[in-house]
Amino acid sequence: MTLEFAACLLTLFFLAGIGLPVAYSILIAAFVYLGVNGQGVGIAGKVLMDGLYQSFILLAVPLFIVAANIMNAGTISERLLQFCVAAVGRFRGGLGHVNIVASLIFSGMSGSAVADAAGIGKIIIGMMTKSGHYTRGYAAAITAASATIGPIIPPSIPMVLYALVSNTSIGFLFLGGIIPGLFMGAVLMVMNTVISTRRNFAVEEPVPLRDLPRHTANAFPALLMPAILLYGIYGGVTTPTEAAAVAAAYALLLAGLFYRALSFRALYGILVESARSSAAVGLVIGGALILNYVVASENIPNIVAQSLVGLDVSPLTFLIGVNVLFLLLGCVLDATTIILVIIPLFLPTCRELGIDLVHFGVVAVVNCMIGLITPPYGILLFVINAVTQIPLREIIGEIWAFLGVLILALACLILFPGIVLWLPRVFGYPG
Amino acid sequence: MKTLVNWFRRGTEFVAAMMMAAMFLTFILQIGIRYSAKLEWLGKTFPFLEPSQYGWTLEFCLALWVWIVFWGAAFVVRERDHVTFDIIYGHVSPKTRRWFAIIGGTAVCAGLLWSVEPTLSKFYILRLKKTATLSHLLGDWVRMRDIYSVYMLFLLVVAARYGWRAISAFRHGADIDQPGHDGAAQQ
Repeated sequence: MTLEFAACLLTLFFLAGIGLPVAYSILIAAFVYLGVNGQGVGIAGKVLMDGLYQSFILLAVPLFIVAANIMNAGTISERLLQFCVAAVGRFRGGLGHVNIVASLIFSGMSGSAVADAAGIGKIIIGMMTKSGHYTRGYAAAITAASATIGPIIPPSIPMVLYALVSNTSIGFLFLGGIIPGLFMGAVLMVMNTVISTRRNFAVEEPVPLRDLPRHTANAFPALLMPAILLYGIYGGVTTPTEAAAVAAAYALLLAGLFYRALSFRALYGILVESARSSAAVGLVIGGALILNYVVASENIPNIVAQSLVGLDVSPLTFLIGVNVLFLLLGCVLDATTIILVIIPLFLPTCRELGIDLVHFGVVAVVNCMIGLITPPYGILLFVINAVTQIPLREIIGEIWAFLGVLILALACLILFPGIVLWLPRVFGYPG
Repeated sequence: MKTLVNWFRRGTEFVAAMMMAAMFLTFILQIGIRYSAKLEWLGKTFPFLEPSQYGWTLEFCLALWVWIVFWGAAFVVRERDHVTFDIIYGHVSPKTRRWFAIIGGTAVCAGLLWSVEPTLSKFYILRLKKTATLSHLLGDWVRMRDIYSVYMLFLLVVAARYGWRAISAFRHGADIDQPGHDGAAQQ
């Protein structure tokens, strides 16, 4: 390791450790690196601006944020929930199932786990605790666990970020996420059934079957959204980035004209909030671009690749090792940081070992989403804690069972690449 | 003074919201034009719908994106909106936290100011570089340096904000310990 790189890392860990925003810590650390090795501090700004200005694919990020905010504000989430209650609320652990199914549908419309938890998750936690059949902690834990599916089923902001650092096709990545997402939903529902039966949660009053058509009709336009998005992307009508704009436009149309649940004032608030989140995410992306420049000029990814290939690890051992590492990092780091900064270190190794980059990407994103609910640092736990005031201790106490099955699902995805790659191959993925 | 700050905040938020809206609408326009381009008579009857006039949409969105990020980071993003590793920050004593805030604030302020002059000279050459397509929309004067200028604004404003944060931590303690803070670091 060179002196300037050591200085860079030291600055980064120190500044991030004392609580500075990750983006600024990276920026200052990069300045230190460039200053010490004599390249000139000005390069950082140039690399950052060029990177952001040339990445068309990143435009999907702010647009997906707008779309999710509109859906949460415009009663679209409520209508979806009523439909789910009518459809799966009649089974034992009913509202738990409703929670998971609603997350599955919502994940086909939004690309962010936090939007999922803060929007639809907040409403359903209210419903679950009000019914009196579930503890607060259980309601919050199952919501957090099911929100992790949000970015696995397309559209997905983390997958856009992965596509950016790995140069893989965003279309195939999205396709690769569909079955794993449904699979995660299935294992969560099994766990919910097991726990509900064991603890003998009461069954809710079922919604009469004759009301089901009415609820379906009410939610139908919203249910069409995933279909429109997928058709737009895979029918060649829009690029994945434009699909984000279409999603936002459709949500706006639904909430504003069709359901008449969105005022101009609310829309303005949504735009401000979306700009805020986009700027915060964009800054981390920018920081990651500079850090990747530093790491690349130190040739670190290739050194990692050479030493791992030299060790003669098998692809499977490598995948398992890397995933354990990501899970551990997920306990303390944010998913965006892992995807943009840590994952690029291992991409050359994947290429050397012949690991498919779409498979690796989907597995890594699933892994990072699980990282969102691993204590002590799990963004989803914090978000739910912030919007519902349920104490973190109660949420964490109930999260372990769900965490366990999600990790089991992750292991299946690692061991059987077919789960991820089958659908992309049907659509012509050569890998 | 307080009302002035409030108005300023609202003004900058308004600009950010409008850029967001413009980006969204430009995207819709881009998709719309792509499909209306198939109807040749449309461009002939209404010259302003001629598809060749809309080559700028993509680059315009990219410029807006860059502006949203840095304008937003300078004026709209609050301390608690940032991606932060605050496990240590949230668990140390208020006295230590105060020092964290002072050191962190000073580091960002000094670091960003340090980079102002080198960045300016790095951008200097861009005063000659034309944008790929934006001259159609904004006029012939626009250069890459104008688009990148928001980064300079960002450096100065954020340096000032963090300098202020360090001073305020020095005088009153770290911001999450101050009354009235609705704190993200309360976990």
